Formats: sequence, structure tokens, C-alpha cells
Amino acid sequence: MSHQLGRAVSEILHRYFGEIVQQVGKDLFTYGSKPISMIVKTTGLPRQQVIESLRTLLKFDLATFEPSVNDSIADYKLLPDNVLLLIRYPRYLLQIKSKFGSEAELLVEELLQQAICTATVLLVTIATKYKDGKESNINVIQLKDTFVSLATAAYIQQAPVAELKEDCEVPTLVPVATIVPDLDTRALIQAVNTGNIADINDNVYWRVNYDRFHQDFRDDLMVKAIARRIDDNAGELTRVLLQQMYLSMPAWAAESGPVPVTELRERCADKPLISQHINHYLKVIEESGAGFIRRYGEAGGGQYSVRVRHAAQELVHAALDHLVTERLGSHAARIFRLIRTKKYIDEEDIQKHAMLPNKECKELTYKLLEEHFISLQPMRKAASAGAMAKAIYLYHIKLHDVAQSATELCYRSLHNVVRRAHHERALHSRLLDKQRRVRSIVHQMRLRGEPAQNIVDVEETLTPPELAVLQSIEKRLKQLNTAELELDKTLFILKWYFMYPQ
Amino acid sequence: MSENIEDDLKEKILNLAKKNPKGITDKDITVAIPELTSSELVTAINKLLQQGCFDLYNQGGSLIYRLKTQANKQAVKGADNEEKVVFNLIEEAGNKGIWIRDIRIRSNLANTQLTKVLKSLESKKLIKAVKCVNASKKKVYMLYNLEPDRSISGGAWYQDQDFESEFVDILNRQCLRFLQQRADKIKNNPRGPIIGRTQSYATASEVQKYITDLGISNVKLEVEDVITILNTLVYDGKAESSVYPDGNRVYRAIESLIPPPGLVQVPCGICPLVLKCCSTGLVTPQECTYMTEWLE
Repeated sequence: MSHQLGRAVSEILHRYFGEIVQQVGKDLFTYGSKPISMIVKTTGLPRQQVIESLRTLLKFDLATFEPSVNDSIADYKLLPDNVLLLIRYPRYLLQIKSKFGSEAELLVEELLQQAICTATVLLVTIATKYKDGKESNINVIQLKDTFVSLATAAYIQQAPVAELKEDCEVPTLVPVATIVPDLDTRALIQAVNTGNIADINDNVYWRVNYDRFHQDFRDDLMVKAIARRIDDNAGELTRVLLQQMYLSMPAWAAESGPVPVTELRERCADKPLISQHINHYLKVIEESGAGFIRRYGEAGGGQYSVRVRHAAQELVHAALDHLVTERLGSHAARIFRLIRTKKYIDEEDIQKHAMLPNKECKELTYKLLEEHFISLQPMRKAASAGAMAKAIYLYHIKLHDVAQSATELCYRSLHNVVRRAHHERALHSRLLDKQRRVRSIVHQMRLRGEPAQNIVDVEETLTPPELAVLQSIEKRLKQLNTAELELDKTLFILKWYFMYPQ
Repeated sequence: MSENIEDDLKEKILNLAKKNPKGITDKDITVAIPELTSSELVTAINKLLQQGCFDLYNQGGSLIYRLKTQANKQAVKGADNEEKVVFNLIEEAGNKGIWIRDIRIRSNLANTQLTKVLKSLESKKLIKAVKCVNASKKKVYMLYNLEPDRSISGGAWYQDQDFESEFVDILNRQCLRFLQQRADKIKNNPRGPIIGRTQSYATASEVQKYITDLGISNVKLEVEDVITILNTLVYDGKAESSVYPDGNRVYRAIESLIPPPGLVQVPCGICPLVLKCCSTGLVTPQECTYMTEWLE
């Protein structure tokens, strides 16, 4: 909960929900939790608008509420971490598309837009939307099957249900165990045809399970890291190991339980190169500097466990190395790594090991200290030695603190990127508006089947210089968008590291 | 006449001493030259000591005379006592050298006198002053013909007390290239990953041979020097090291676990002004020049 986080969150809220929600969100962020009347007072917005904003925030799970002291009114609280997830949506869609195909993507996209929704409404809306479309091979039966498999794989889950406790007027949200639904296909087809869904009695609400996606992202990170370090087969083996781990452990455990090699061998039976050298691969992965897995014991032909927490730490280290390299140059990164390897090190020893000229070495060390990448630990000699005894200064790295400041930097950059995109849009809003208008007019003319000449005439209202400007804006916005996604990936690694207590 | 006898006697004693390089005692002399009286012996020995032919030692209560080596004797010829003392101290220090302060304390000479002595010895090219690499102000003295120790000269990386960072950088790059040539052997090796890994490892002596064959260095590089270079590669994160069962260190080129993260791909991640960047004011994301350049 930092100032930078607040700035980033506020910009994101503005982008997705507009100014009023931004104001309410910002207010909630600044004051922690507070009831509606207080929000009205500090923001100066009409009560109705505040309620509407809160409704939106609550619906998208960006805020939560709890009974206030007197039990009759609710205190609202912003969930900044969930707000940051808004920019991760494209990644969710890509992930689900590559895993379950484009129908699943449609489902998840619609569900993300609706935030929470019943299965019936969701399926019928999508089916109606694409009924007349060119990709008419989307039908409600297939959609239903995809929905069921998504629910089985826990990518979507049932939304928590509001429960009213006794002598308390504020409901509490209680999570429900997800039950894979059994949907009536015939009723669905009928609903699509008639466009009337009132007949179907469905009051189970669904929403996207972000955690499941994050687990996929994390697996990908680990697998790719191993593949970079060793080879694709080793990466594949890591994936199998992780899957095996999920059978017995919670997905985010710091260290997995032991997985016997025999089980792994069975799972890899179809990959000759891996199964042939499975013990060798495991040994190489274990002995690679990353230390993602650990030999647990000898029982059952050897057992291995996955050190998830350690993996997070290693990846944060790698990210920080890159950061230092880019900010202060590769020599500074050398010193940074040197200090990490030696844990605590004296200034003179740094010079000796880093093989840098004394002056440069000192300068870089002090710069690292200035940017809070490293810390200094003075060691005083015993008092008896008198004035001659100088203190020894040992450099070391406090990973938690460094990661924290990297996170701050991420928030800052995220805010700047979103802000800049907003600025670019505002700067050229007239042109963008014009383009939008022309497009919609052309679209309607095409639908009406008007002669091509007329359409061309309308299109030509956008002059070539205007088109050139539009193109450059589009390019800029695209670049900013990519930057957002990439920043989010960095944040993901850092968040994953912070998940485990120090 | 008596001088002749004396010279004869000296000759005899010197010959005896030459035969026994470990030194001779009074007893040895009386056994070898039985006709010698003790008073004659004393005068002869005293003469010899004065001429600086002998070093005098006390071993287990008896005195031992040891012949000085010829070179040293010549070196201090024509020098006064102070010079001899200082010279001996410097000689003792070997190729590590001795600090002027230590000479002063051990020789009990006054500061001005000592500098004079040192200057005269230096002008005779008997000793030399060498600057210490790890303390630029500290000068140490050693015999003129000695090669300074690594701890003093800094080894191959120093040219006249200056650290040659370019040389180190070039070697660093060449070592990396050598390791990278092998690094791919581990990828999808049909003979299994362990053999692949072994093939991608290189020992320090292999790297040293490669560097020597390249001929980029006119200084002879020892294996230890190459190890220091390889260690900088490890600290650069471009290599990892491991130990063979026989105790040899081996090195392998590696890549970072992740590609450059998003944070360093945006200008803010590397911006020197990022901490001064605010929503309003002189430095803002809207007006940021770095960002404009990046977006072009």
C-alpha cells in the first residue's frame, strides 16, 4: 500500500471505468475503509453516483465491504491488487485460447466483462451474439461443453454468495465450493432460438478464477527458465513434476511434497529422450544453479520435491540483475552479483574479486548503495582498541527490501505508461472521434448495401495526413499497451516472491 | 713477516669456511689449524669480520662464522656500517619488500640518515623502490635484481601500478566466447544431459590454453589468472562454475533465467529522473522526452 500503488490504481480505474469511479476508488485507497456517507462527504459526489461506483467496484471484485462498528452500515474497502489485474485480462484470454481454443476464449472474455454471471445467461448471450456471424460454427452445445470443462479445470468458479447473519444488517460474502454444473441442453437451444431466458431457473453465479490462471503463468515461468538454462526436455520434465505436485499439494505451497521418480517415468513414457535419461535430467536440473528442485530421499527409486519458493527467489534475483545492468551498467551488475554470492563483503574484497579499477569499483558500489540495491552493515571492533580501531563496513543485499523498491519502480512505470496513453488519447481525441464516426457510418452503409462510390466518398473525409497521424498514434498506443503487459509480468514475479513470508 | 703469517692464516680460515658453507666454530678452526694460538685466532677473526667476509651467528651458546656469499660481499663493498645494516634488512625481506617505517624501526636509524642511506643504495643500483598496488602511497624496498611479489605488483593485471581494465575486459570476452562455443552441447544431447553438460564444461587450464593460443596477451598468463577472469564471468551471471570429482573447477556458459523483464523495457525502468517524476511539475510522464523518443 504505497503512494505509487495508489497512483497506478487510480489511473487504471480511470481508464476502465471513468472519472467518477476513479474518484471513489482513489478516496477509498487513501482512507482505507469507510462507509458511503463518508465517501460522499470527501469526494463531493452525489450519493447516487457514489453508490453506482461502489456497485461497479464490488461487482468486479475490486472492492469489498464489511460491517461497520454499529453493524447497520457497511465499510467499503478497495482491493488495489485486484485493480492491477485489470491490465492482465489480455493474458488470461491468450492463455485460455492456447489451452482450450477460441470458444473458451469467448466464454472467458464475456465472463470477464460481465464480472459475475449465470451459466445460462452467459451461454445464451454468446450464442446469440455469434448466431448470425460468419463463424457460425459456434453453437450452444459446444459452448456448454467448453463451459463444463473450464469449470472442471477450475478456470472459472462459483461466485461467493451473500449471507445475512443474525442481528447484522450487512451481508457477508461466503465462498462456495464449485460444483460442475449440469446444464439442460434443450432448454439452452430453445432460449437461443426464442431469445427468452426467463424460463430457465438458474441462480448459480460464476466468475473467473484468477488464481488458476496465475498458477499457469507461474508454471510457464519456471518451465521456461529451466528450458533456457538446460534444454526443452528439462523444461518439459519440470512441467510434469509440477503437475505431479498438484495432485498432493496446494498449488502455492512453498515446497512440494516428494514426487517419486517412478511416477515421473510413467508420465513421461511417451517421450523417449526424457524417459531414457530421466535420472540424469533430474540430476542436472537439481545441480543447475537455479535449484528449482531438490532430491528429497532415496525411497521408491529417488524422490524429488519442487522448491517453489526458492524458484521465486531466483527469478526475482534474475530480474534484479537485469534491472541493475540496465540502470548502472554491467560492471555494477557484476558487483551486485558478487555481493550476493559472498553474502557479506568488505569494500576491498569487492575490488579484488570484481577485477575493476579501484576508482570505478568504488563509484559503482556507492551508486548501488545510493539506489538502495545494496545495504551497508557497520561492524564495530571492541571498544578497548581506542581511536585506532576503525569500523569495518560490510556490504550485503536485503533481497526483500530491494524487491520492494523494484515493485515501487514497477508501479511508478505502470502509472507513467497508463498516464501517457491517456494523454496521447486526449491529445488526439478529435481525430480518434472522427475516425470512429467514419467507421461506424461506413459500416452502416455497407449493411444497407449502398454503392461503393458513396462509401469511398465518406472514407475520404479522412485526409491522408490525418490517416498518417492516426497510424502513428495507433502505433504508440500499441507500444504503450505492450509495455503495460510486460510490466505486469514483472510485477507478477515480484508478487509471487512476496507471497511467501520472509 | 707477521703480516705474511696473518694473511696465510686468513687464507686458511677462509678455505675452511668455504668447505663448510653451514658455518664454522672456533673449535673447527683449532682442530684444522692446531698450531694457532687463541690470541692469533681472535685477531684474525676480527680482521675478517671487519672486512665483512663473515657473518657472525650465535648457535647454542657457541659462535659460528659463516662465509658471506660472494655477490653480497661485493655489493656492499665500500659501504659504511649503516648501509650494510639497511642492506641486510632489505635483503631479508626478499621479494615481498620492506616498508621504510619497518626499516627505521629495526635499524634504529634516524629518519634523515635513513633516507640518505637508502638514496645512496638506490643510486648504486643495489636496491629499488616498488610502489605497492593496493596502497598507492606505500613504497617498499627490495634488492635490485628481484621480481616483485604478486601481492605487491598485482600480477598480470597491473602495468606500473595501473589496473589494465581493458585487458581484463578483452580476456573476459574471449573466455566467454570459448565457453559459449561449448554451451550448446547440453541442449537435446542424444547421449543424455549429463554427458552433454560434461561436454559443455571447460576447465580453467583449457581456457588458459585457448587464450595463450590466441596470442592476445604478451604477458604469460597463469592458470590462476584465468581463474580470476572466469570468476568475473560467474559474477557477471554469464557462466556458472562447478567442481569435478578430481577437485578441478569447471565453467560453463549460461543464460539468465528470464529474458529482460518488462521493467527495463520501458524507459522509466532505466530513467535517471524516475524518482523526480510526478503528475505535475517539470518532469511528468505526459511531457517526458525519453518516452517520446521511445515511442517514435
